[in-house]
Amino acid sequence: MNWINAIAQGLLLGGLYALFACGLSLLFGVVGIINLAHGDLAVLGGYVAVAILPSVHTNALWALLFVPPIFGAFGYVSQRTLLQRSLENGPLTTLLVTFGLSVVLQNALLEGFSADSHSLSIGKLATQALRINSQLSISYLRFGILVVAVVVLAGVQLLLARTSVGRQIRAVADDNEAAAISGVNTRHIAGIATGIAFVTVAIAGLANGMYSQFTPTSGSSLLLFAFEAVIIGGLGSLWGTLAGGCVLGLAGTIGAQIDSTMGTLIPHLVFLAVLAVRPSGFFPARAPA
Amino acid sequence: MTALLQLESVSKRFGQVLVADSLSFDVADGATLGIVGPNGAGKTSLFGMIAGDLPVDSGDIKFDGRSVIGLNAAARCRLGIARTFQVPHPFTGMTVFENVLVAAHQGAGLRRAAASNLAMEVITETGLDRHANTAAGRLGLLSRKRLEVARALATNPRLLMLDEVAGGLTDPEVAELVAIVRAVNARGIAVVWIEHVVRALLSTVDRLVCLAIGQLIADGEPRNVLSQQRVKELFLGTESTVAEVAQTAHAADTGGTTAPREPATES
Repeated sequence: MNWINAIAQGLLLGGLYALFACGLSLLFGVVGIINLAHGDLAVLGGYVAVAILPSVHTNALWALLFVPPIFGAFGYVSQRTLLQRSLENGPLTTLLVTFGLSVVLQNALLEGFSADSHSLSIGKLATQALRINSQLSISYLRFGILVVAVVVLAGVQLLLARTSVGRQIRAVADDNEAAAISGVNTRHIAGIATGIAFVTVAIAGLANGMYSQFTPTSGSSLLLFAFEAVIIGGLGSLWGTLAGGCVLGLAGTIGAQIDSTMGTLIPHLVFLAVLAVRPSGFFPARAPA
Repeated sequence: MTALLQLESVSKRFGQVLVADSLSFDVADGATLGIVGPNGAGKTSLFGMIAGDLPVDSGDIKFDGRSVIGLNAAARCRLGIARTFQVPHPFTGMTVFENVLVAAHQGAGLRRAAASNLAMEVITETGLDRHANTAAGRLGLLSRKRLEVARALATNPRLLMLDEVAGGLTDPEVAELVAIVRAVNARGIAVVWIEHVVRALLSTVDRLVCLAIGQLIADGEPRNVLSQQRVKELFLGTESTVAEVAQTAHAADTGGTTAPREPATES
């Protein structure tokens, strides 16, 4: 690997991180839930595909058609039942509840699928790449994931900015009480926002399954990267989240270029450095009024 | 005329503090009612209970003849109950237009063009047209208070509850606000107004109640209520006389100048 290749691969990896972080950012910014089960939900998305795919098609790309909608409904229902109740008991309760959900998911997946690693097969596409020169080649899959990440982030951004539902989501995020007296059904809107967040989690989980392998316990490290991407980018800013993901991806591949053992450590060090220098991230959503 | 809003033996307490003690009163359709009372009398809590932000301990609240106790705030808003907050709660990250549009969509149940039209109408009515595209977080106090009124109006209410919208404003600003509220009432919307700025109330409402420790201690024609001994003791203190209050009200009425006019020089 040379430097240009490291940078290209880092940016592409950033797409995957941003995809993970998108749902986390949305759920925290809008509904006020710090979802500690975020990584495990992504992994769950992968296992749902593993369980259902054999009866649908051999190519895992088909999972993109049914796993995200299932997760959307799952998100809405869990908000209206489990999460809403915990929110009413204060922020600490949601932390405990999502942490509990994380433990339950990990153990249920261990029980159902064993600790063996799985991956989602997408046929030849997984190994094909666009060869630019002898040292730089772009994997179609990685590039595809980056494109999906940009489309998802842009879609969520457009939804929030331009649609009636988006305005209601922003109103609820801004001031729940004022939204209610303006006629907004705040719980329904929180449910929809959670559903959207879960859809993005499912897409991220599938992308991760196609990109690498997953086990029932791999959610924690995914959660860590998602958190870091959100905080580097600045809370509440979706484009900042993409930038945060790319910073982490770059730090990883450039770190690995310097020393192959540093690929995992460097992103976390970069995160700590950002936290020390700019604790509010690079693109915080808006200055408090 | 049938009562638009009926409170029947509504009670509410926070620990030892009684904010509504078997409180009953009616507001007629299209009427105006002012509420005065010392701090902590339960005025704002009363709005909370009517709007559905705050559950009652006991008693019943009827709107248009139908009990609304079981409805949440959003559902009551759609029935036509609107309120403003004493400390404005704008959606700070959204523009003034978007703030009002949310209410027009959800509260008034309008779609697309109809919602935008209503939003623009109330923005004009409340004098916010210059700020329509300003982020609500950047507005000054007067504009924030106007936005509270605009957002409430955009829900197409039959009852508008104003919580100290005149507090903290200068006299000319109060006069502008009074003009807006009168125009709203002239459209047939009932107005219930909690206010410490008594002259604003006197130039607007036909009926005044005084609330203290969760009870109505006076109810009737505004100047009569203010002249009652208990009201004076509780609320006005000993310095103000009704004549002074009425005089400044007259000033707010006729042009909103700071200095009270001398009646003698006018003739």
